[in-house]
Amino acid sequence: MLSAEEWQILGTSLGVAGRAVIFSLPIAIAFAYALSRPRFPGKSVLDGVAHLPLVLPPVLIGFLLLLTFGRRGPVGSWLEATFGIHLAFTAEGAALATAVMAFPLMVRAIRLSFEASDGGLFEAAAVLRAGAWDRFMSVALPLAWPGVLAGAVTAFAAGLGEFGAVITFASNVPGETQTLPLAIYSALQVPGGEALALRLAGISMFAAVAGLVVAEMIQRWARRRLET
Amino acid sequence: MSLVVAGAVVRRGAFTLNAEFEAPAQGITVVFGPSGAGKSMLLSMVAGLHRLEVGKVSLGGRVLEDVAARVRVATHQRGIGLVFQDARLFPHLSVRGNLLYAERRRPAHRNTPIVDDIAEQLDISGLLDRAVRNLSGGEKSRVALARAVLSAPELLLLDEPFAALDGKRRRAFLAMLRDLSVKTSLPMMVVTHQIEDAAELADHVVALKDGKVIAHGSASGVMRRQEFVSLLDRRDLGSRIDANAVAGVRPGGGVWVRADSVILATERPKGLSARNVWQGHIASIHMEADGSALVSLATEPGYISSRITPEALAELHLKEGAQVWAVVKTHSL
Repeated sequence: MLSAEEWQILGTSLGVAGRAVIFSLPIAIAFAYALSRPRFPGKSVLDGVAHLPLVLPPVLIGFLLLLTFGRRGPVGSWLEATFGIHLAFTAEGAALATAVMAFPLMVRAIRLSFEASDGGLFEAAAVLRAGAWDRFMSVALPLAWPGVLAGAVTAFAAGLGEFGAVITFASNVPGETQTLPLAIYSALQVPGGEALALRLAGISMFAAVAGLVVAEMIQRWARRRLET
Repeated sequence: MSLVVAGAVVRRGAFTLNAEFEAPAQGITVVFGPSGAGKSMLLSMVAGLHRLEVGKVSLGGRVLEDVAARVRVATHQRGIGLVFQDARLFPHLSVRGNLLYAERRRPAHRNTPIVDDIAEQLDISGLLDRAVRNLSGGEKSRVALARAVLSAPELLLLDEPFAALDGKRRRAFLAMLRDLSVKTSLPMMVVTHQIEDAAELADHVVALKDGKVIAHGSASGVMRRQEFVSLLDRRDLGSRIDANAVAGVRPGGGVWVRADSVILATERPKGLSARNVWQGHIASIHMEADGSALVSLATEPGYISSRITPEALAELHLKEGAQVWAVVKTHSL
């Protein structure tokens, strides 16, 4: 059904979006939990940072990543010197750019889920001798995990379509950083490439819609399960 | 060992709780007062869910919170259990999961209660594999109680967990609480605004009104005091009698005898269906605003009040010091 080239592009996309979600999920959970807590100093700053990728142009995010994680950037040069890791113009870099762009989506979904859980249950856990970390792991996270999963799936679906930040930071290398939208863009640059672009667009749409449907199903199932 | 609350102040919005009392950490201490008196807040304060503004709380000599000395033991390290009014069972765990949650977290040296034993005692053995959402209100209360007992606290606080239960099921729950308190010798502090519940459960009483402790001490003593009586509705006025002295009720604890349910006789009654007849002397007669007379009698089981009409008072020639018989129907208790 799909050509070898199309499989490769889809594979690159899935790999980039998958890694982006896996590595940013723990950080997103931490952010979301912190933001769901009552007021604390620096909360609005944290909130702003988490939402920045939503309001900044993706190309600017890619550029900022390049300045920071590029070979001559402060973090990038340290990573290269210490671990020999290159991020700019690699699949890992594409995953990083995708993760940053999808981060606000994840934080939002997870935060809503933390906020919706009954604070009284944390008190109940505390009087049963559960400390703060224990309460988080044994009550907050299990109650919020449908939101966590839904946030991850939504971020994954959105990550498949990330363009501006990826092309700026990781470039458009076939087989390495050429994800679906980048491949569509490339196909459109070539005379007679519309047919390929259309097929890739179909694949991209299917993957995104499938992701959203899965997220919705998880939410519904979980809501039924946690009803009291 | 006792719970000592000294000059404690807790504020929540416009409401302020001022608490000063000492309660022995054994038997059942009832926290009594009308709705909005701050009873739940008092429990939350002892459990460490509300921070003190000033004052000190200690249990058995161990300081739990002392604002002046900047000491505050976190809720999970206090070893104080709390059964909430709304049960607060974990919805992502089964009934057994909820019980094990408590059992796994208690310190190893306090390993007395066993899940199956407590489940049997509280009649929830058949529910262990059920999901929490499929329980009735009474079942939820019992599971919440079992969970709290299994965490082996040094003091168990109960915030009217039987509020949602009515009639028979409520009485059964109270009886179970008393049994549990005796069998496990786990000291309890129970909130209620119902005078019958207070009389049945209390060994000690802490009475609250408008965020202040107005009386505290032994149940038999406090429940006769004017400060305590002032908390009661007119139709609830009465007296606490030791349950062992009353025919037809469960032994242990107390019974609240309403003044309206006590009949007076100037001669020893004969051929009565009522099971409780006590001889005594009139200690005082208090005239109420509507002309009724509240007659207080010193009888063998203790002081009893009877409310009678002005006509009856005149007809029977009742005076202080006169000998009378008090008649109480068991079913009115």
